[in-house]
Amino acid sequence: MASFPRFRRFLSRARTLRGFAPLALTALMVAGAAATAGAQQYPNTTFNFTTDLNEATTHLWDSLIFWATIVFVIVEVGILYIIFKFKARPNSPDPEHVHGNTTLEIAWTAIPAVILAVIAVPTVRTIFMTQAKAPANALQVEVIGHQWWWEFRYPEYGITTANELYLPVSRTVNFKLNTVDVLHAFWIPRLGGKRDLISNRTNYLWMTPRDSMTLKALNGFCTEYCGSSHGNMKFRVFMVSPEQFASWAAHQKAPAVFGVAPAVAPVAAPVTPAAESTTKAGQVGVALANAAAPAPVGFVFPREKLDISTIPTATAPASITFPAGMTGDATRGQAIYSRSSCIGCHKIDGNPMSAGIVGPNLTHLASRYTLAGAVFENTTDNLVRWIKNAPAMKPGSLMPAIGSGEYNPAIKANVTIGGLSDQQIADVAAYLQALK
Amino acid sequence: MSATAVEPTAGAHDAHAHHHTSTGLDSRKIAIWAFIGSECMLFVSLISTYLIYKGKSRVGPYPHEVWTDPSTGHTFGAILNIPVTSFSTFVLLMSSLAMVLAHNAVVNRRVKRTTFMQRLEGNSFFWLISTAVLGIVFLMCQAYEFTSFVHEGLGLTTNLFSSSFFVLTGFHGAHVTAGVLWLCTLAAIDKKRGLREDEGLVVDMCALYWHFVDVVWIAIFVLLYLIK
Amino acid sequence: MATTVAPPTFAPAASSPSYAGDKTGVWSWITTTDHKRIGVLYLFTSLFFFIFGGLEAAVIRAQLAAPNQSLVSAELYNQLFTMHGTTMVFLAIMPLSAAFFNFLIPLQIGARDVAFPRLNAFSYWVYLFGGIFITLPIFAGIAPNGGWFGYAPITTMQYNPGLNIDFWVLGLQILGISSLAAGFNFITTVINLRAPGMHLMRMPMFTWMSFVVQFLVVLAFPVITVALVFLQFDRFFGTNFYTLTAGADPLLWQHLFWIFGHPEVYILILPAFGLVSEVLPTFSRKPLFGYAVMVYSGILIGFLGFGVWAHHMFSVGMGPIADTVFSLTTMLIAIPTGVKIFNWMSTMWGGKLQFTTAMCFSIGLVAMFTIGGLSGVTHASPPTDLQQTDTYYVVAHFHYVLFGGSIMGIFAGIYHYFPKIFGRLMNETLGKWHFWINMIGMNLTFGPMHLSGLLGMPRRIYTYDANQGWDLFNMMSSVGTAIIILSTLIFIYNFFASLRNGPRAGRDPWGASTLEWSIPSPPPEYNFAVLPNVTSRYPLWDVTDGHDLSREHHEGHENRDDRVPTAKELGIPMPMNTFKPVMAALGLCIMIGGMTLKHVNFYAFFAVVSGGGLTLVISLYAWLTSPLEEAH
Repeated sequence: MASFPRFRRFLSRARTLRGFAPLALTALMVAGAAATAGAQQYPNTTFNFTTDLNEATTHLWDSLIFWATIVFVIVEVGILYIIFKFKARPNSPDPEHVHGNTTLEIAWTAIPAVILAVIAVPTVRTIFMTQAKAPANALQVEVIGHQWWWEFRYPEYGITTANELYLPVSRTVNFKLNTVDVLHAFWIPRLGGKRDLISNRTNYLWMTPRDSMTLKALNGFCTEYCGSSHGNMKFRVFMVSPEQFASWAAHQKAPAVFGVAPAVAPVAAPVTPAAESTTKAGQVGVALANAAAPAPVGFVFPREKLDISTIPTATAPASITFPAGMTGDATRGQAIYSRSSCIGCHKIDGNPMSAGIVGPNLTHLASRYTLAGAVFENTTDNLVRWIKNAPAMKPGSLMPAIGSGEYNPAIKANVTIGGLSDQQIADVAAYLQALK
Repeated sequence: MSATAVEPTAGAHDAHAHHHTSTGLDSRKIAIWAFIGSECMLFVSLISTYLIYKGKSRVGPYPHEVWTDPSTGHTFGAILNIPVTSFSTFVLLMSSLAMVLAHNAVVNRRVKRTTFMQRLEGNSFFWLISTAVLGIVFLMCQAYEFTSFVHEGLGLTTNLFSSSFFVLTGFHGAHVTAGVLWLCTLAAIDKKRGLREDEGLVVDMCALYWHFVDVVWIAIFVLLYLIK
Repeated sequence: MATTVAPPTFAPAASSPSYAGDKTGVWSWITTTDHKRIGVLYLFTSLFFFIFGGLEAAVIRAQLAAPNQSLVSAELYNQLFTMHGTTMVFLAIMPLSAAFFNFLIPLQIGARDVAFPRLNAFSYWVYLFGGIFITLPIFAGIAPNGGWFGYAPITTMQYNPGLNIDFWVLGLQILGISSLAAGFNFITTVINLRAPGMHLMRMPMFTWMSFVVQFLVVLAFPVITVALVFLQFDRFFGTNFYTLTAGADPLLWQHLFWIFGHPEVYILILPAFGLVSEVLPTFSRKPLFGYAVMVYSGILIGFLGFGVWAHHMFSVGMGPIADTVFSLTTMLIAIPTGVKIFNWMSTMWGGKLQFTTAMCFSIGLVAMFTIGGLSGVTHASPPTDLQQTDTYYVVAHFHYVLFGGSIMGIFAGIYHYFPKIFGRLMNETLGKWHFWINMIGMNLTFGPMHLSGLLGMPRRIYTYDANQGWDLFNMMSSVGTAIIILSTLIFIYNFFASLRNGPRAGRDPWGASTLEWSIPSPPPEYNFAVLPNVTSRYPLWDVTDGHDLSREHHEGHENRDDRVPTAKELGIPMPMNTFKPVMAALGLCIMIGGMTLKHVNFYAFFAVVSGGGLTLVISLYAWLTSPLEEAH
């Protein structure tokens, strides 16, 4: 867009209005939306300058929208003009029977062709630029899609986590995309680019986040239809400084030895996102006793920096009841967890019994803000209900109902053998919340 | 423009007016061409799938390569039997020749035929049945091939190769079967009352279809069997 | 050059032996082989499915009106969006176009019927039974749930063990047979049954665009047939086409699907382009601008339509070279499409524009399709498409194309041809209300989707979180849907009220130019008493007085001007009514549909499939061995 400096300036001023560029559809819409426009309101807006990838894309988008707007205005104004100018009036003469005009036909074949060529050149350049091989020193992140949650691995650091992604700014990140089941697609709207996760194939997507993104919390989505809970397959992206990332990574790498403080010193003040009880007046809640005292942990994205859009608002269905004020015991919970069916699917580094790989890795569950594919906030209320009856909270969930007497759609019967009582669930929850 | 942009056609009340066609061809002939065009896309899709999956099977047996089953240690040879298929390809080619002769016999009824060879040339029933019989021989070769594959351990569900191979050749076999039924019907009519010279189109349509199926087989033979 | 510019005449029609009136009763409609009656059957059936698909959309929009709603379950939502797409594409827009193919093509080219009248009836009945088959499961909550695109492997037995996908696979196979049979029929009809003098380059634009569409149908449908056969075999017999553990490549389905799917887009839009190309010249009182260019651009769109399919797959990681190729071909196809827009505008330029409802909808198409076309160009560029694909921006794009394009064009066609089909005019006042409310509703529904998409809202999600910046736009879309429903109710009322009480239309109430307007409304069963000899593209304009001349056709056979003779009086042989195509269609649908029973009960499966097959074979035999017409 360098050739249109004035338009460029206009656009950078109107950056927050970027969403309206597609064709200024109706005055109503523009007016209605402009009234509420603002970056704060639109946390997932797509065309930004957040990464090198998205910057290149946004330049292309500018040029496309520029030309599209011109054609749009010509056509729509032309139609309106024709409507008013050539409306049949009494006494208006019969029109001449014009059958065509070769010059005009050539003109409106050639002019769009030239416009498209103007768009095609930067398009091709950007295709090859963005699909080149990622730089060798890029941070490798393996993204593995599951129905319906995300597994993230950092091979360089030996970390496996789920649904919450930490990315250092200013360092190229190269996502290696695979799926263990059906197709998914990996998309962080603010950072740009989108790639499908194709079974039996590996895709890559790389980008370099800008410094300005430090301490930004972003949303990520699955955008390829993947079954019942496709709409519930989300994730969070926490953009942090390289130092913060190093602290976080060092802590995440360490096994979560329940009750034993990890040896990593925190960079920022330790934040304990989930452990506090969220019991509010009139709500069912669980008080945690005997949960380990806040241990010094590595860096965790500060709660106050969370964008409002990254705090889930979904609530557990009322059909899953849980007694108010029940107290869980983490030590007891560890024992119950370690002999329950949980360990068949979940892994907790530091708990040798828990070595499943089908479900999300729970090693540092308490350092996460969300549960179940970023659908629910990681609160005690949600956690106990999730353990009790996951399918009722997330349609199609492959995690079965665990609570005794709950309906398990997978076996089309209520849970009996191996089901956990509410007290046992509270204990397990207390254990999981001790896993900072 | 003249003042007669729309005017009655001369002889509009002729019986022929109703059967007037713009090209002079019978509508059925155009339809069968459209049908064959459509069938081309069908087989292009099937053949492309086979080629896309070529070499992608995770387990054998394979069409052209030797494979040892790691779990049993059993070794499978290259599965495709080129000599038998070459024979069946030749048979199908000959059937097209018979088809041409059948059509020729029907549309040249008025030719005076005296010698044995001339009468044989004009015997449409013989050529129709010959085409059908050659088609049946081809199908029998295919049945033999399928059976021997299954005996050797290559079933429909074994691997990508077997699925794409059986479905492709099976579709072709189904087309040959339909053609054989068509030919038998024509032969039956010919036997019962004799196909008239003005019914050449009926045989012509069948011939077009038959040649098409034949051409498809040649493509399959080259792409599946000959190219390794 | 003299022209007819008479205002619409609402003179009472002649008491004529119209195609609809001669033989009455349900049985006569079931056994009909008259292309006009079959067209009417298509029209009513597809309007029904259009409304049904609209109701599915209404539930979807109600669910998405606000965040975190649970009006429908995730599973039902998935069935609804799958069936909304499937219904609108295969059961509404395609057969709405087919209604016009059937009714209009023989009239426009000066033919007495299509080339194969019984095959035509067969196509309709297969469509009807297939439509019922694929629609009914939603009432049992077991409707297809893999999306209308049905991307493997989510449709495979491993990930979708229920009957849902079986209904979809078999239903689409049935509908494909209907479309293919119609395709062969209309290709032959247009090539072979044109009236004397109706050269290809004199054919009305609707016939031309429909002709191109038939080629797309016969070349594109076999590809999805193969893709569906693979899926069906995988599900029924355990083949490995989409079996991940065998090393299958899910992109096989995507390539096959879109090689069909992209031409399908043009199958949906080109007939609407054709209808609009009939309406715009009529009410501009000018010939279509650049007729030849319009023909060539239509052909070019159809041709290029086979070379752009992978632009639906920019996010699958095909590599930069494939992305570049498909990006460039996609940009290329924008050129002939743009040419059409400019030619329509030039048709109106300098004209004497009469804003009938049909004209309003046609101009609406030009204005709205342009938006869909331009947003299409913005995702012809793969890097930007990666930010748009699978978001509501794409939903907005193709609804501007399919609703703003196809549906607007079809509404234009309905208002324009209603008098020809039913002999009565639709109410213009209600028509205008319909148009404007529809226009507001569609822009309010689909306009904000551009924004919710660009603001990061993915497609096919059954609910969304609050605070994402999407609430307002989703609410706007849902309110817009309610407005579209209101406008559709007005249309339905107008349609049926006009059917009963609309003013009688003469032969040519609009002063239109093509052959179909030279015969009575509704047309007699034989269409043309005398096959016309065509010497012009606009036969009724390029004569001193189209009305008088069209009446002249019959003067040889009648004394009174307002009495049209019957086919028998004229000695015109007509195809006989027959129920064999219906039985063949029924047998075919039972045979294919019955295959779903394989996963339920093998004996029932065997009995139903063989029963259906037997019915099909017997009906076909009876059909092929019985004459089309009475001996004459």
